[in-house]
Amino acid sequence: MNIETALQKINDLPLSAGIRENASAFPLLESLHVLAIAIVFGTILIVDLRLFGVASHRRSAQRLTAELLPYTWVAFVVAAITGTLMFMSNPVSYANNTQFLVKLGFIALAGLNMIWFHSTAYRRIAEWDEDMPPPTAARISGALSFILWTTVIFLGRWIGFTLETLFF
Amino acid sequence: MSITAFGEWLYATPVSTAIRETTWIIPNIQTVHILAIAVVVGSALLTELRLAGVIATDRPEADVLRRYLPWMKVALVVLLLTGTVLIVAEPGRTLGNTLFWIKMALVAGASLVTLKARKSLLRTGDTMAGEVVPEASRSLAWLMVIIWCAVIFCGRFIAYT
Repeated sequence: MNIETALQKINDLPLSAGIRENASAFPLLESLHVLAIAIVFGTILIVDLRLFGVASHRRSAQRLTAELLPYTWVAFVVAAITGTLMFMSNPVSYANNTQFLVKLGFIALAGLNMIWFHSTAYRRIAEWDEDMPPPTAARISGALSFILWTTVIFLGRWIGFTLETLFF
Repeated sequence: MSITAFGEWLYATPVSTAIRETTWIIPNIQTVHILAIAVVVGSALLTELRLAGVIATDRPEADVLRRYLPWMKVALVVLLLTGTVLIVAEPGRTLGNTLFWIKMALVAGASLVTLKARKSLLRTGDTMAGEVVPEASRSLAWLMVIIWCAVIFCGRFIAYT
């Protein structure tokens, strides 16, 4: 099965058709998506700023991360699910949209940055947990995360203006 | 002048036309608007959940509030500015829309509670970590979380009504 038939198969699913045909489904998904993004970005920003060296409501970077990341993850899952449902409603158009594809790339980069942080600076967090400013590796990771997620939001909003709505 | 007439007048102004015709302005302004929403919602979530006794209960309420209130203020100003540009560009989409006015009322209410009621909390002194929060204050905190969520839904639905 090539990509095109796969996209067409997704397009023809009853769930995909349901989202297309129900006038309030798409705006509801979008609203949930924006709410989830706001929580993802809002909570990550607090952690990013702390990693960069901007004080938070507590001194320990490790405790701050442990406190906020559960919210980030739940919101990220909601964003991923609502995003997938929006994609399903019009898979051929999304797959042909540059902004959408680049956005997925940037989400992957943000994930790689997170993995890099957790396998390097975070391993030694006990040594710099309450230090201000944090070590350079943590500061770079925080700054990168901020830039990557900002770009993700930027690309996401541009999808709405560049998507060619094709219904099959 | 009725609101419809004002909207039509605004739509015809050179500024409004210029914003609409420069295709990159609206998407980018909307992006900044969403980033600012994330800052407001992130800060509000942290402070309200602290006031509700859910998060950072080992930290004094006033400390948490003091950290995030300045961020919220800056983000609210950015929202106001970017929102104004969006209204000037497409007055018909907003000024004649009931959802838009509901959103404005919710934003005004939530901002007022945040800036006035929450600020008085900073003055009346620092409730200590672990101190029991009055029931009414907890309910208000949850209500505020719901209001900010409702603001986002109204904002997105403006485009569809």
